[in-house]
Amino acid sequence: MIEVFIFATLNGLVTGLLLFMLASGLTLIFSMMGVLNFAHASFYMLGAYFAYSISLQFGYWTGLIFAPLIVGVLGAVIERYGLRKVHQSGHVAELVFTFGLAFLIEEAVQFFWGPDTKGYQTPELLNFPLFTLFGQEFSAYRGFMIAISISIFMGLYYVLTRSRIGIIIQAAITHPNTVANLGHNVPMIFMCVFGVGTALAGLAGVIAGPVLTTFPGMAAVLGSIVFVIVVIGGLGSLAGAFIASLLIGLLQSYAIASDLGMPDLLNLLGVEFERSHPLHDLWTITLPQIAPVLPFLLLVLVLIFRPTGLMGKREQ
Amino acid sequence: MIKKLTPWIGYGIALLILPQLFDSVLGISLLNQLAIAIVFALSYNMLLGQGGMLSFGHAVYYGLGGFLAVHALIKIEYEEMYFSIIYIPFIGGLSGLIAALFIGSFSTHKAGTVFAMISLGIAELVAASSLILESFFGGEAGISGDRTYGPPFFGIEFFQDSEIYYIAAVWVFIATLFMYLFTKTPAGRLANAVRDNPERAEFIGYSARWVRFISFCASGFFAGIAGGLFALNYEFLTSENLNAVTSGRVLLMAYIGGLGYFIGPIIGAVVLTLMNTLLSNYTELWLLYVGVMFVLTVMFLPRGFAGFIMMHQLAWTQGTLNQLFKPYLITALPAGVFVLATVALIELSHAEETLHFLGMPLNPESAISWSIGLILATAAFYATRRTLPQLRDAWDTANTISEEEGESS
Amino acid sequence: MSILSLRNVHKNFGITPIIRGIDLDVEEGEKHAIIGPNGAGKSTLFHLISGRYGVSEGSIAFKGQQIQNKQPYEINRLGLARSFQVTNIFPRLNVFENIRCALLWSEGYKYSFWQLLDRQKRLNEKTEQVIAQIGLEKRAFYPAGELAYAQQRALELGIAVASGAELIMLDEPVAGMSHSEAENAVALIRKITAGKTLIMVEHDMSIVFDLADRISVLVYGEVIATDVPENIRGNSRVQEAYLGEVVSDA
Repeated sequence: MIEVFIFATLNGLVTGLLLFMLASGLTLIFSMMGVLNFAHASFYMLGAYFAYSISLQFGYWTGLIFAPLIVGVLGAVIERYGLRKVHQSGHVAELVFTFGLAFLIEEAVQFFWGPDTKGYQTPELLNFPLFTLFGQEFSAYRGFMIAISISIFMGLYYVLTRSRIGIIIQAAITHPNTVANLGHNVPMIFMCVFGVGTALAGLAGVIAGPVLTTFPGMAAVLGSIVFVIVVIGGLGSLAGAFIASLLIGLLQSYAIASDLGMPDLLNLLGVEFERSHPLHDLWTITLPQIAPVLPFLLLVLVLIFRPTGLMGKREQ
Repeated sequence: MIKKLTPWIGYGIALLILPQLFDSVLGISLLNQLAIAIVFALSYNMLLGQGGMLSFGHAVYYGLGGFLAVHALIKIEYEEMYFSIIYIPFIGGLSGLIAALFIGSFSTHKAGTVFAMISLGIAELVAASSLILESFFGGEAGISGDRTYGPPFFGIEFFQDSEIYYIAAVWVFIATLFMYLFTKTPAGRLANAVRDNPERAEFIGYSARWVRFISFCASGFFAGIAGGLFALNYEFLTSENLNAVTSGRVLLMAYIGGLGYFIGPIIGAVVLTLMNTLLSNYTELWLLYVGVMFVLTVMFLPRGFAGFIMMHQLAWTQGTLNQLFKPYLITALPAGVFVLATVALIELSHAEETLHFLGMPLNPESAISWSIGLILATAAFYATRRTLPQLRDAWDTANTISEEEGESS
Repeated sequence: MSILSLRNVHKNFGITPIIRGIDLDVEEGEKHAIIGPNGAGKSTLFHLISGRYGVSEGSIAFKGQQIQNKQPYEINRLGLARSFQVTNIFPRLNVFENIRCALLWSEGYKYSFWQLLDRQKRLNEKTEQVIAQIGLEKRAFYPAGELAYAQQRALELGIAVASGAELIMLDEPVAGMSHSEAENAVALIRKITAGKTLIMVEHDMSIVFDLADRISVLVYGEVIATDVPENIRGNSRVQEAYLGEVVSDA
């Protein structure tokens, strides 16, 4: 039992931190520009695919460095020539644009790389178990994922709290309209924030690709979850996004690892149902079955009872 | 009065004549798809275009309507219910309405991002539940019914898709009419007011939430009717009918067609359904083209195709529209060549053997095919750009207001 | 009898008090102006009365009914209508629809989705009357968002008065207008509020002294004086707190 718990926690941590890498970029973009970027997970997917192609030629580590850069530049270009144009038509148009972008990127990925799963591998260097606990191995690569995510988190924290640009960004988060009055080149800042946000997503893709498999549907798998995190955490709150990422990561991980379900609950209560009962499906639901749904359940509940999210201050 | 009725008479006649013109199996099946898509897209526009509520989960009401409709078909088959299947879409509508009553009761508090996110959450919840609750939704395989068991309707037993078409046509006509009339009622007009400025609406005596709720329910009802039509036509439903992909498709239709114009979603439904069915016969890449078209529409035609047509209203009323004909043609020719050449290149890059594009044999191995395509595309691109200034000038001239205030609405 | 009475009304934002205990009675049929320096809480007071904000403490009675915790639409239905300082119209609807929407509740249509607007003869006639009153006949079918500023202000006023509310609250109705536009607006206000109770926030003192029967002076969230214009002009506390500078400016 205890080993299940420990591994579920570790896996939840890996997922949660990975989700945070996506959510942090999304939060930055939303805070600054007021755009919920529907295509954010698509940049994550692009990161994985670019890294895969690069790794074929130059190895994993080159991909780790260059793929996020390419994704970031692509993101900046899309902001400059796409999003900025749509901006005049209002927030709904922007949301719809990024929605279309997500659709388009998925098709483009299939066009360039084909519909099948790519054999994007973890690097040789990290192909060993980091430690073995109760006979189960925890791979070094997962440890590497945790390390990268945490260092990104720390770096981001440092930049946001210590550097000049970070202070401007923070000001923009809390007082979105005043930064322009201070004489900063807001379009330029927007482009950079979008570029950095998408590059972070790309980085997440690079390190997640080998573990979560690299295929054209990988954006859709994470896309709405990341949305959920940003909303649950409170739109515009990085701390909220961090907490929500870990919360969702752990929640899902525990739900999958546990094999509890309604039958157990009913046994506990001493209730029995026959197989032919019309609500039979409901009474046999198990936690692993509903694990993918939990984030969305949480989302709806949070939005109904606390529309600003856990840590959000701004009304959306 | 006559002037108001003309479009409706035309619409009705078109619905009746189309199956005579396209009476092949493919034609009829396409028309049935069109009918379903039109109702679905119009119902979506009630939310987004008229009411300002961006939903990422409209397929929920469509799908639930469809599932209940199939269950009704099954009940008819087992003689637990006894009525003609022509009423099935109404069952779908009621199911959509009930779902909307429930979900709308908590989701219409706010519009904007909160509404959009709740709709996304609900959509994912319902889609996931549909896979879990197998006895109702049939799991991955879905559920199926048989429309031929019901009592014959004037001797028709609905073995043929063409017989279904006429039911669908009647329902489409009724649904379109009622959705149009809704926009002319106090509740419909207030939906526009709340879309524009929910705050002010509260100060003229209306609860923005109630106004949204009413539109939301009406929209759920008509989406359910579309789902019921789907059930009648295909006789089976799977969880795909209520998932995010279907929700996304209806957003695409409404947006490409043009939000805020009643006719917009109809145009969008027709364009996308035609692309869906016809283009997919020719190329595997059709979704890529749809994606490109969608993104370009959002960027350059924020009011969709209908908005583009309506842009010409001023020139039309001033009688200067004909001045635009020639400049349009001059731009459209190179632009058309550019599009075709680009498509040819894209197809070429994906082909493994010689393909025939507009009758021309193109070989992916041959440098000639590639260079012709590249040269044509580049040349046409620059030619198009060269024509743009004259088009802009012509546009400005045609749209200069000549007389004292022409009325626009 | 006073149509509106405020008793000990407080409003805090967080820990910052904005309205600090206001008692105010507005008599039926009077034209009551509220003046005060910037940041005195005039707009907040309007928002409290019209229901946009809830009060932190105290009570507001309109026609004898407690309204301090009611929603804006509930208060509006009781017969209180208002305009806004920043133009607040329905930009994509045309002028006619703007006014017609403002009339719907008072004409008893509620949330009807079974009546066609174009068939409602009485409603449409009334709409046309209001449009004629505010002088926008020629622009009736223009989208409200495309009107000139002064016309939008007229529409703003029209939306507020269309329903025939007994108490009308105008928040800086002539702000941002040229001198001649303001003159027209004042004439318009006089015309359409005849026989009704008016509460108005305004910075232009000539207009205030011209229109108002009584004036209340709001300073730092408190009413320091309520009186007829002549007495306000002579009130030393008022001059000290506020009027001196402005009158000498004007």
